[in-house]
Amino acid sequence: MSIMPALVMATFTTPEKINSNPQSILWLLPLVAAIAIVYKATKVPEIKTANFLKEAMILTGSIVVFMFIAALALCALAWLITE
Amino acid sequence: MTARSKENHTIFLLIVGLLAWLVPGAGHLLLKEGKRAFIIFVTIVFTFCAGLYIGSIGVINPVGAKPWYVAQIMNSPMVAILGHLATAADYSVFGRPSEIGQIYTSIAGLLNLLCIVNAVYLAHLQKTETAGD
Repeated sequence: MSIMPALVMATFTTPEKINSNPQSILWLLPLVAAIAIVYKATKVPEIKTANFLKEAMILTGSIVVFMFIAALALCALAWLITE
Repeated sequence: MTARSKENHTIFLLIVGLLAWLVPGAGHLLLKEGKRAFIIFVTIVFTFCAGLYIGSIGVINPVGAKPWYVAQIMNSPMVAILGHLATAADYSVFGRPSEIGQIYTSIAGLLNLLCIVNAVYLAHLQKTETAGD
């Protein structure tokens, strides 16, 4: 097997090293963007690049902000219960 | 709508749904929604490949992670081949890469399910509009 296909195969047969630290939460950002893009692709009546990007970015931002607020609320609840 | 055209309509909807499942975005392409099809294809394939890159093909586990596998197979029936390969070669993956890889690949599958339903709905609307003209 030549080196290029072997490298590509190795990329998809060996897991990445991801630690269980707070930075690993950032992996949610590409996923949220993908969800917003596909959702908007099914919802907007006509796709115009600038408008579509704007709508997808607003939805991505809304999801991230909502998740941040939910995380804060859960933190506050956990603090109230444990204090 | 006559019985014959109703039957044709159902077959057309089935073809759109099947195509959309075979290749993400193909259902929309059949309905001449090229831009939508391209966006759906690129985003779903990117999300699925990102999941495989993070967790390896070991995240597709038809035996040990059946609920995840059900969502993953919504990407395309070709996922079954990957699942067979992963099971046969025993690519095991644990911990955070496994979690993130499974979430990415499963969400990609569920997004494709949304697109399949949307393509079938659009096909139904297009047909009923042309029948009404």
